[in-house]
Formats: sequence, C-alpha cells, structure tokens
Amino acid sequence: MEEDQVIEETLDEQVEQKVEEAPVEAETPNVETTKEDTTETAGPEGPAPDSTSLVPIDEYLASGIHIGTQQKTQDMMKFVYRVRTDGLYVLDIQATDSRIRQVSHFLSKYDPAKILVVSARQYGQFPAKMFSKAIGAKSMVGRFIPGTLTNPSNEGFFEPDAIMVTDPAGDAQVIKEAVNIGIPVIGLCDTNNMISNVDLVIPTNNKGRKALSLIYWLLAREISKEKDIPFNYTMDDFEAGL
Amino acid sequence: MEKVNYCTSCGVHLSDKGFARFACPECDTELGRCIKCRQQSNNYVCPKCGFMGP
Repeated sequence: MEEDQVIEETLDEQVEQKVEEAPVEAETPNVETTKEDTTETAGPEGPAPDSTSLVPIDEYLASGIHIGTQQKTQDMMKFVYRVRTDGLYVLDIQATDSRIRQVSHFLSKYDPAKILVVSARQYGQFPAKMFSKAIGAKSMVGRFIPGTLTNPSNEGFFEPDAIMVTDPAGDAQVIKEAVNIGIPVIGLCDTNNMISNVDLVIPTNNKGRKALSLIYWLLAREISKEKDIPFNYTMDDFEAGL
Repeated sequence: MEKVNYCTSCGVHLSDKGFARFACPECDTELGRCIKCRQQSNNYVCPKCGFMGP
C-alpha cells in the first residue's frame, strides 16, 4: 500500500511538472517575436534600422499601416501584434512587409492587363488607379456593377486572371463574382475583416489615406522591379487628396 | 507547371465550380483551394516551401 502511494505521488509530481513546463514552451516563441518586434517598432531611441524591410520602419509607422480597429475577427488574430490599452488592435508590421513581397511576386507572374484592382472605398480609389496605371493593370473604382465579371452581355464585361480588393467587406460583390469564375482573390484586410473567399491576405490598415497609398505604392514598385518595368513614382504621387 | 486536381487544404477533388488554382507566392508551386475551404477561410500550407495562407 505504501509503495502504491509513493508511486502515485511521484506520478502526480511528474504531471504537475509537465503542466508547468508546457505553457512555457508554448509561449517562448511568442515572447521572442514580441521582443524583436518591440525593438523594431517601439524602441525608446526610435525604431532600429532594418535593411530587410521594403521601406524604413519609420515610414510604416508614420503612415499608420499597423493601426487596426477596436474590433477583431478570429481570422485576423494571427496578424495582430498586440492590443493597446484603449482596445485598439495593432497589426504586425513584419507580417505586412513579408506579405507585400509575396503578393508582388505572386502578381508579377500574371499578365498585368489581366489583373483587376477594385476599390469601393473612397481613400483607396486614387491609389488603386495609380497602381493600375503604374503596372498596366485594370482598375474599377467606386460602385462595382454586378455582372461585370460573370455576364458577357454586360457593357463593361471583363475576365481577369487575378483580383485585388481594397476592403473585402466593401468589395463583397467582386469577391462573389471572382469565386464564381474561379480566380484568386488578394485582399487588403484590416483587423475587423472576415477573410472568407480571400486567397491571399495583406494585413494592413485599409481605412487610412496614407496607409493605402503606401501599400499600393510598395506593391507597384515591387511588381515593377520583378518585371523590369521603369517605375518613376514617389509615394506622394499615390496619395489621395483630402 | 503541373495542374493540381486536389484542394491543398482538405484534399477534395477540384470539380465543382468556385475553386481556384494559383501559384504559391513563395515558390510558385501550384496550389488548389476548393469552394468550401475558400468560404470557410481554411488555412492552406504549400507542400514544398511551407508557406501558410491565406
């Protein structure tokens, strides 16, 4: 009987040790990433220079690309860096930066004339137009007429190979038609967006004027680099007026 | 590029309308997503490079 009690006690101790160790192991990578991000995004002496990012972190922060909303969806939680004390969800700039590279590489494989950029959102319309002008893509801004992608008798009928939307919520009709014709959808998603039917997400603030101009400018610049197209635009050229 | 006939997320045959085929943004391997995985925003992982989307 005494032996059994001893064995039970040792087993209990082992289980307790495992329970104590498990969360530490799970949290370690997060802690490390948090440390890295903190040094780069909010250091006391300003952000550290990062040669790997597309533009200096300062510019990302100045344009407010990382500012999310006070609502969040479960889909976007993997891109959230932290929650501010006022309840605002802040996006991870590193994730945004790497996604811009990946999307640029992705879009550079397509014929620019078969890429469609859509923006129903006011502040996204001008950058979307400039983006399409810079790389030779097609843009549809403002109200999207239903049937444009699916109804051949429609006046502006167009069959793209890939679609980029500024806001999956505002551009829901385009996404619906893109699903019908079976083409990939790239979406600029904020923390409050559902990513249903979006095949590739760029986590970013999709409400700010400067944030949208920076995102579209970077995408245009990177695609031009990949395709060896001359690119003579500055970030200000992509910025919508007030 | 070899055409993928199966959904990268769930493995279902890509036959109904609404699926999408596209190249992996990292390594250009072709990936497929069925209509259900697109609707439910299921994650997909590139079998070659490990890129995780969406």
